[in-house]
Amino acid sequence: MTGRKSKKIRLCIYGALAVLLILIAVFSDRLCPYNPYEQNLAIAYNPPSLEHIMGTDAYGRDMFSRIISGARVSIISTLVLVVIISVVGTLAGTICGYFGGLFDTVVMRISDVFLAFPGLVFALAIAAILGGGVSNAVIALAFVSWPKYSRLARGRALAVKEMTYVKAAKLSGDTPLQVIVRHILPNTIGTMLVTAMLDIGTMMMELAGLSFLGLGAKPPIAEWGSMMSSGRSMLQTYPWVVLSPGLAIFISVAVFNLLGDTLRDYLDPKQN
Amino acid sequence: MKKRKLLSFALILGITCSTLFSACGTTSQSSANESTEAAATEEASEETAETTSDGTKKFVFGDTTFNAENEESNVDPHEAYCGWACIRYGVGETLFKFNDSMELEPWVAESYENIDELTWKITLKDNVTFSNGKSVDAEAVKACFEDLVAVHERAAGDLAIDSIEADGLELTIKTTTPKPALINSLCDPYGCIIDVTEGNADGIVVGTGPFVATELVTSDHLNLVKNENYWNGTVNVDEVTVLCITDGDTLALALQSGDIDAAYGMAYASYPLFENDDYAFTSIATSRAFYLQMNYNSSVIADDTVRKAIAMGIDKESFVGTLLDGYGYVGTGAFPDTFSFGGENVTTESYDPEGAKQLLEEAGWVDTDGDGIREKDGEPLKITWVSYPSRQELPLLAESAQATLKEIGFDVELNVTSDHGTIVSESEGWDVYAAAFVTCGVGDPMYFFTTHCLSDSTKNRGNYHNDDLEALATEMNSTFDAEGRSDLAIKMQQEILDDNAFVFCSFLKMSMITKSNVTGLTAHACDYYELTADLDIN
Repeated sequence: MTGRKSKKIRLCIYGALAVLLILIAVFSDRLCPYNPYEQNLAIAYNPPSLEHIMGTDAYGRDMFSRIISGARVSIISTLVLVVIISVVGTLAGTICGYFGGLFDTVVMRISDVFLAFPGLVFALAIAAILGGGVSNAVIALAFVSWPKYSRLARGRALAVKEMTYVKAAKLSGDTPLQVIVRHILPNTIGTMLVTAMLDIGTMMMELAGLSFLGLGAKPPIAEWGSMMSSGRSMLQTYPWVVLSPGLAIFISVAVFNLLGDTLRDYLDPKQN
Repeated sequence: MKKRKLLSFALILGITCSTLFSACGTTSQSSANESTEAAATEEASEETAETTSDGTKKFVFGDTTFNAENEESNVDPHEAYCGWACIRYGVGETLFKFNDSMELEPWVAESYENIDELTWKITLKDNVTFSNGKSVDAEAVKACFEDLVAVHERAAGDLAIDSIEADGLELTIKTTTPKPALINSLCDPYGCIIDVTEGNADGIVVGTGPFVATELVTSDHLNLVKNENYWNGTVNVDEVTVLCITDGDTLALALQSGDIDAAYGMAYASYPLFENDDYAFTSIATSRAFYLQMNYNSSVIADDTVRKAIAMGIDKESFVGTLLDGYGYVGTGAFPDTFSFGGENVTTESYDPEGAKQLLEEAGWVDTDGDGIREKDGEPLKITWVSYPSRQELPLLAESAQATLKEIGFDVELNVTSDHGTIVSESEGWDVYAAAFVTCGVGDPMYFFTTHCLSDSTKNRGNYHNDDLEALATEMNSTFDAEGRSDLAIKMQQEILDDNAFVFCSFLKMSMITKSNVTGLTAHACDYYELTADLDIN
């Protein structure tokens, strides 16, 4: 088996797993065996059993249903977040790189400001100002995460615009928009895609982190980070309450990271 | 490259399996407990008693409530609720103390006499000294109380002191209005007798208690040493450190690891970890109520039906039985049934979601758009529930009420924050405030009403007013016999319950957990006295 072929197989496996996770997130309503928000204090803290395979939490809610339901919040929000930052970052970076000038200076100085602070700390501050809620957490993380993409895209655009074929395209009368869409973006997209894939895991962790600290999802929303936070005092007594969401975060982050890694290897011309 | 991938995959598999197995392993509750017990034993055997080689006994106490958020930023009883820290950690003592039936017993004072409606004569003990060696006479107590009422608004209101006369060991207090519960009020933690001539550098004061505060960092720690001049026996422990640990998990781990010798405010979910021979519990029923206060400034809450429906939508039994693990008592009125005027003497709504639904339906609160939330005249039945996390019961109550009220058709938005004080000091922006309060801290029922329910009460946050209640309060203020006060207390409770201005969910069963080698740390019904001369490490 050639290296390329085995990479392709791995890519398919991880891709399938990622798609499976996304499907679970999208169809979570139909997959939950119980209502994830229905309290039944009579069965609080039940350990994992055939009836409740991940046990129940302090309010007698089925953990498995909450994990599935939490997939929607955690995975979908993460994907939305990554799409926003990669698209915005790439566009801003490409425009800056291609045109240069005042716009470039202003945008890059703004991105310098964002890059000057540790990402999560800055996101914490923004989320705290905006108030809790998943959407505010997404906005906060988007604010601090786009500069990475704009830096990358700007670098690519600067390199590509000096290529002879781009100059030729310009000479033959292409408008700047045409040059960007036809020549620059296609040469940037690979790098951005890999970066975005690798970022999904990080963003998922950061989103869960904000929720864990009480700045993301608000109760009773089932979200993995906030579920871990509310269950952390039970780590020694009722471990399933905190281990189940932990496991869910771990698996999802691992799958998306492996997918990103494999995609990078697959697209890397040097390795082929 | 390939090797690395393989390795990472194996790692994932390994961690996944081990996590799954550990989760499955706990399906048998007993086996889980055994293993934690074993772990605890191991730790306990490693940690020897805190008696150092030179024979000094050191005691470390972990407390979740001693912090600025609780208005306990230091040990000066003349500031906010700092008196609680002063009396709990054995720095200060009051004139009289409460026994577990909340009856008065002599402490710094020997006896009192009610001369007339406005005049009280208190005789002090002749052997009491401050920790700096000065003896406590009427003059010192007078100076202390005069400073108290000058700087402490709540105390000034409770005591209504007109003048104080000091003569040797005899103190004569005149009040501006009849204050039948004056002596009880003087036993509130703010009534700790301190030497005001010493000032309060860094929030540290000189009291008469078994311990002397030496170092204080707000919301971090308090260091105390034995009072060598203690007037009431020998103090067993030489040094005490009170650690302010707001996080329940940190507290549990600190006790398990032996960093602290005793803990106050342990999370209920952690109790099973300590229910073994290495630790001891001291528990008692208290009048600390977990209650809801309604905001009459809110148009939704001002609707009588809505308040009644909220009262009918709180599942108190399950809250106490399950979420508090049985460490509590279901509340009816403002006082628990250990008091003659508490418990079943009053009636209120019980948990009845169907009844609440019907009630709201009849009052015009109907779910017209099918989203599960009722509306009336276009206004949704949405309430903002404000509470705070430092009392661990409150977030549990909030989330359980959110679910039970949702069923009835309420959209409950939770705001459980340390910043609750700022939010409820505004008239708008909140609907229901869930809080904890010692309703009968001084053994007299009037305390709760004067602080919370009357038009001029400092904690009447929701702008509640009831003419009949005001009239009863006036009557109470001139009633001196205990039975009459008790009857009035029942009537007054019934007024606020009929209005559903307050909903009393549960009362705290206060527990402290100590290592098994600690003796002399006992929970008291009033929740005031913790560290005493009896405290010892064996």
